[in-house]
Amino acid sequence: MRGARRWQIYVPLGLYLLFTLVPFYWMLVFAFRPRGSTSIVPWPITFEHFDTVWNGMGFAVFFQNSLLVGLASLVATTVVALAGGYALARYAFRGKAAFMVGMLCTQFIPGALMIIPLFEIFRTLSLTNSLWSLVIAETVFQLPLSLILISGFIRNIPYELEQAAWVDGCSRLRGFLAVVLPLLRPALVAVGSFAFIHSWNNFLFALMFINDQEKFTVPVGLAYNLGENSVDFGALAAGGVVAALPVVIVFAFIQRYLVQGLSAGAVKG
Amino acid sequence: MRRRVVPAAFLAVAALAALAGCGSDAGSGGKTEITFWDTNAGPSRTPIWQHAIAEFERANPTIKVKYVGIPIAQAPQKLDTAIAGGGVPDVADVSTSGLANLVAQKALDPVDDRISKNPALTGKFNEALLTTVRNVVPDGKTYIVPLSTNAGAFWYRKDWFKEAGLEPPKTWSEFFTVVDKLTKPSENRFGFTIRGGAGSIAQMLEVVYGQSGITEFFDAAGKATINDPRNVTALEKYAGLYKKNTPEADLQNDYVKMVAQFDTAGSIAVMQHNLGSYQDHIKALGPDKVASFSVPKSDSGTQAVLSNPVGGVGVFSAGENKEAAFKLAEFFASKDIDGYIADKTGVIPANTDVQGTQAAHIVEAQRVLNDPATKVVQMPYHLPEFNEITKTWAEPLFQKVLLGELTAKDFLDQLAAKLTEAQAGYKERHG
Repeated sequence: MRGARRWQIYVPLGLYLLFTLVPFYWMLVFAFRPRGSTSIVPWPITFEHFDTVWNGMGFAVFFQNSLLVGLASLVATTVVALAGGYALARYAFRGKAAFMVGMLCTQFIPGALMIIPLFEIFRTLSLTNSLWSLVIAETVFQLPLSLILISGFIRNIPYELEQAAWVDGCSRLRGFLAVVLPLLRPALVAVGSFAFIHSWNNFLFALMFINDQEKFTVPVGLAYNLGENSVDFGALAAGGVVAALPVVIVFAFIQRYLVQGLSAGAVKG
Repeated sequence: MRRRVVPAAFLAVAALAALAGCGSDAGSGGKTEITFWDTNAGPSRTPIWQHAIAEFERANPTIKVKYVGIPIAQAPQKLDTAIAGGGVPDVADVSTSGLANLVAQKALDPVDDRISKNPALTGKFNEALLTTVRNVVPDGKTYIVPLSTNAGAFWYRKDWFKEAGLEPPKTWSEFFTVVDKLTKPSENRFGFTIRGGAGSIAQMLEVVYGQSGITEFFDAAGKATINDPRNVTALEKYAGLYKKNTPEADLQNDYVKMVAQFDTAGSIAVMQHNLGSYQDHIKALGPDKVASFSVPKSDSGTQAVLSNPVGGVGVFSAGENKEAAFKLAEFFASKDIDGYIADKTGVIPANTDVQGTQAAHIVEAQRVLNDPATKVVQMPYHLPEFNEITKTWAEPLFQKVLLGELTAKDFLDQLAAKLTEAQAGYKERHG
């Protein structure tokens, strides 16, 4: 019985892993094997494709831009979601239910539909061709889900904890910072990592709002490798490794908090 | 707690400060600055344009050109957004396949006057290419300075042909025989790779009209000729290659997947595409293993080829530095630079003064194009619906033909009806 259970667990898991990891393996094979090789293992190893994308195609600059946009979006989304989520969880105000429904509705609007209106707004604000436009657009698109997650999480923290802090002489802000914020770590990690990864992977905004080669981000750089008359699979795979690495590292560090944060935020308070 | 919050706040401020720095434009030192959009950017094309721009800046020290590379798949959307929302470039490379859309939005300035006043360019362009450029738009003006055109090419494995003692086919009958002989599924070798996914229709039309020898896309009454019985027979033969002489996965083949099979996996003997993929094949396989042959003749002896899109550079009417923009467009079309661009990208130059050392595949394509016996079937790039019909509507149905779920006749009848209706609408609008 015990053996049968193991079999039932590990075989499907193994198959799923195989299905998931084979594309990654092929990406590594193409990234590390020499041009013209048809070997199914990346041997002899070459770094020529990485040199091509990093130095020749400007991925060093794209990477820096993506990192800046990702970090700024992370900070902006987390701070605003924290403040807004607290208000939604702790205060009763007129139109709160309608506000929540409105936020949910924004999730049904594809980003592509908003491109021209956003473009005109950013142009009026002289923000086109600036990385600020990406940060603002990303933050705005990430906020609804982040607000819902954070407010759900705060609702699960007993209000009495804060009230006890007030009785001890804390102001509302001090009580929040000293008592609530430390308990929100899983939620902050979940929201921050989602904001970072989403903005790291976003292609459309970076392509549409930026008109300067030195300000493009990694996903735009990857798309250069797919032309009608030119496909460099080695460079494409090397670019894919560069693009995937930060996301993999972020997930490796935060996955413990992520599951905790998502499940806690999903429970109705 | 404070110790954790404070460094995070500093990090945020530092990141935002860095962003602010990135948001400002660098000064151009009193020079006129213009922007050039390369709408098919990539590792092989970007350095070519950048070299041409460097040459221009050397010849025109008061003008600075900012190069912006746009991936080809998103270029139409990027251009449309820029036209609708503002922020168009001064100059961009534009193909006749997308020209009608830009002209309909009044985005480009005509270049006829500039060409006629420039002795270095007047009378220097291939007339057939100029005609293609003018036919695309209703007012018959020239909206791009033509740089090059492409031609259909069949890339083949020289080494496999040599092994099998085969010669590149001259007629379509020979083509089908050769492809069949080179198919050895047990060795994972296929005689052909058929384009069943994105971009399938242009290649299908090339094979169909090439076999039938029909030379007009519309007859005198404006009816599409695509469902002529000779074309139906030709499509049946072409679709018959699927799974017999091609891999089954070809149903989803786009350019990337075709190249992956031909260049990287090395499992295909003949791949239909155009001259533009030369660099990819040479880089992957080397000149000893790959060469091209032109579209074979019909069995009746007619050489019918499709008109290929003409590539060129357009000057945007909303640009602020038109004089500098026109100068750049004219510079790209000049003998030396056009020759350089055509040579490096592996296409046929529009400037007839361009001579010199051209690769064998270009010489062969030029021979076919300049042969008086060659019939050029003019593709209806002037129809605004053409892209939608051939991509959104026709591509899934073509897959059904390959799968045997739709007959070639039914498919071509429906396609002909769509094209005839679009042509009638165009005639009604523009006379």
